[in-house]
Amino acid sequence: MASEQLPSEFDVVILGTGLVESVVAAACSRVGQRVLHLDRRSYYAGKWASFTFNGLLSWIEEQSKITASEEHDWSSQLEDGEDLIGLTTGDVSQVTNLQVFNYTSEEEEQVPSLEEEAKEDEEEDEGGADQTPAGETQEEGAPSSESEVKEEINTPAQKSQPEKSKKRLTYAELLKEGRRFNIDLVSKLLYSRGALIDLLIKSNVSRYAEFKNVIRILTCRHGNIEQVPCSRSDVFSSKLLSVVEKRMLMRFLTSCLDRDTPLLYQDFAERPYLEFLQYQKLSENLQHFLIHSIAMTTPDTPTAAALAATQHFLKCLGRYGNTPFLFPLYGLGEIPQCFCRMCAVFGGIYCLRHSVHALVVDKCSSRCKAVIDSTGQRISCSHLVLEEGCFTQTAPPTRCVSRAVLITDGSVLPTEAEQQVSIVTIPSESPVRMVELCPSSMTCIPGTHLVHLTCQSVGSAFEDLSPVVNRMFRTPDSDHPEPRPEVLWCLYFNMPEGLESEGGELPPNVSVCLGPDGSLGHDGAIAQAELIFQKILPGEEFCPPGPAPEDILYQGEEPDASPAQPGEEPEASSSQPGEEPEASSSQPGEEPDTGTSNQGEEPEASSSHQGEAEASPTCKGEESETSPSQQGEEPDASSSPCTEDSDTCPNQLEDGTQG
Amino acid sequence: MAGGSVSECKEYLFKVLVIGELGVGKTSIIKRYVHQLFSQHYRATIGVDFALKVINWDSKTLVRLQLWDIAGQERFGNMTRVYYKEAVGAFVVFDVTRGSTFEAVSKWKHDLDSKVKLANGSPIPSVLLANKCDQKKETTSNTSLMDNFCRETGFLGWFETSAKDNINVDEAARFLVENILANDKGLPYEETNGDRIKLHQETVAAESKSGCC
Repeated sequence: MASEQLPSEFDVVILGTGLVESVVAAACSRVGQRVLHLDRRSYYAGKWASFTFNGLLSWIEEQSKITASEEHDWSSQLEDGEDLIGLTTGDVSQVTNLQVFNYTSEEEEQVPSLEEEAKEDEEEDEGGADQTPAGETQEEGAPSSESEVKEEINTPAQKSQPEKSKKRLTYAELLKEGRRFNIDLVSKLLYSRGALIDLLIKSNVSRYAEFKNVIRILTCRHGNIEQVPCSRSDVFSSKLLSVVEKRMLMRFLTSCLDRDTPLLYQDFAERPYLEFLQYQKLSENLQHFLIHSIAMTTPDTPTAAALAATQHFLKCLGRYGNTPFLFPLYGLGEIPQCFCRMCAVFGGIYCLRHSVHALVVDKCSSRCKAVIDSTGQRISCSHLVLEEGCFTQTAPPTRCVSRAVLITDGSVLPTEAEQQVSIVTIPSESPVRMVELCPSSMTCIPGTHLVHLTCQSVGSAFEDLSPVVNRMFRTPDSDHPEPRPEVLWCLYFNMPEGLESEGGELPPNVSVCLGPDGSLGHDGAIAQAELIFQKILPGEEFCPPGPAPEDILYQGEEPDASPAQPGEEPEASSSQPGEEPEASSSQPGEEPDTGTSNQGEEPEASSSHQGEAEASPTCKGEESETSPSQQGEEPDASSSPCTEDSDTCPNQLEDGTQG
Repeated sequence: MAGGSVSECKEYLFKVLVIGELGVGKTSIIKRYVHQLFSQHYRATIGVDFALKVINWDSKTLVRLQLWDIAGQERFGNMTRVYYKEAVGAFVVFDVTRGSTFEAVSKWKHDLDSKVKLANGSPIPSVLLANKCDQKKETTSNTSLMDNFCRETGFLGWFETSAKDNINVDEAARFLVENILANDKGLPYEETNGDRIKLHQETVAAESKSGCC
């Protein structure tokens, strides 16, 4: 399967399959560049990846291994006037403070072995020290070997609630069903009018993905979880607000949208948002919703910034649902892969477990002429795009994100209604946002929810987030009078945010992509990808729409049943007789070139042609081509009750997947 | 993946993968099946995601078959999940004139089974295609060997095909679809997909609510 050698010449070589790299890859490939896209890992999407449960366990194990950089001497590959720049070859995920807690029961939960009990004690000690966790596990930047110790820890059915007859999930079941989890390393949502959604639509990459609307925006206040009213209907039906508050909130939100000239708040532009809201005489209730859930900021954020965030939020309402957010089915890791697929469809070559070891730099122009890959092959390229962390780093990361991933046995705010994806904002010194995913998001198994917590790091992820976890959920360390969902398994870790400018002076034709930032949306990543693309191909269009597959190939049914220009296309006649599978044996020797012209492509896959070739196979050409054949098929088709239905094919296709 | 029914007609949308080594004729088979075309020119598959074939299976069943090519260049076996997800059947293709492509079949099958499963956890139905049989040199048929191989590797069956001479392509497809339909009848759909959103389907209704206030 992977026996062949790579071609030795490309236009663009890209190392890393994170979101930014993948968007750049798709964009370049789409306009005809020959793209080689590599990842040193065995999986796609790097820090943006989502894993099955078992995959996540392997990832955790990998993080505790220190992968030494291999030393190679590639100087024999150099020609006169060339220099080498070496890249780090070890893994560069820089994840720290990784801790795992397992609260599922084992199959034989009655008789925990001695060993397990011992482990359990050890873990109780640690977890019990909630606010001041044991120092040795919490050292910033220390490679976390702790995870192995805590994995497999078993605290069988402790504090089991008598009212709960639900069967507890065992660890064995978790492992057995593990492939049905899709657990993201990064927790983000898509703003329905954000840059990523726009790009997905514009490029047609959206056809590879389906989404769920984030149905509820929740917040945690006075220890209670409340639903934040944000759409008009929410505001009116909310039981949390008085009539006066409802009116005030509506008036305020309306004015936020109208306010193009910041006249009303100009005195407040740089002053805290809270002061502005107080000045507007909004109640405490409303202040809370507006600051934490709608602007998703803090009370002391400058008013201008908070109002900009509020406007963005409001503008995103209603495009796909009553909240501004979407979440991709199968997890966020799906999105970079959608762009990779697009790149591959337009000729990009993909190779995982394959890396770049060194750059070959021309001494005169100081441009990167080629790379030496991990097999020692020299591959020439005009441009090189690298993920972050390829150059040896001296400075520690400046900003980190604290993350927790929980598998729980229920929603923090159960409803009678169908399963829901929720975002919960939890005010605190470093505001915590929590995304709760339900099984229908295809990220966890029935009977569980997958919960992602994220905040800017103050301390370790455990220090930052475990108090919130204990407050919101039932764990061995929590003590709630009221029922709360139980944590079955959880993971804490810190991940550095994308770092600006690393590695000092780079050759002018080398770009470095930053990793995920701590924000909720994807605008930063998309802006970065577009910038890199424009640096590589100034003046080219960024991700023009790809043809919809149903528009390219064709035969049979067509959306437009009208007999349009019969016989206009020469090849129409050749495809006519053989439409039905039954009639297949007809015409064994048709012209070889019809196949290619059918798709509007050049016979040679030469890169320079791919771009333009693309433009031609639009609906129009196809319509005239296929209409005659449909006529030819008519007698047959009319015998089926599906005829009318098939007339609306492309739309139906989409609706079909919808359900 | 099944669509809603209109009147008495049941409509299905099946995603079928076509995998195998470089140059075994995956694209040719798809083209032959969908367009009734065959091209002598070898061409890597560019710009094409999948081909759609609509089959009036019987008077009550309409099947839309999406045949997903491995985008030619994802040839090092590193397909994205986008490729595999929600597939309900697969063709694994090898070239009878090149033994090495047959040796790779087990690897492809193994990869397939590890990447995608039916809702009930069993492997997706797959059929082995021994392509380019028009160019086969030896006439001796090793049917029993192939039958054994299929049993051991978990293929439903195998066909000698020729995209060039249009041999057995429709038969193989029919055989696979029969099996997919049988699976489908046995398995009720696990999740209702009603609340899934495709981005280009932003609704007018939702639009009118835009802006909340």
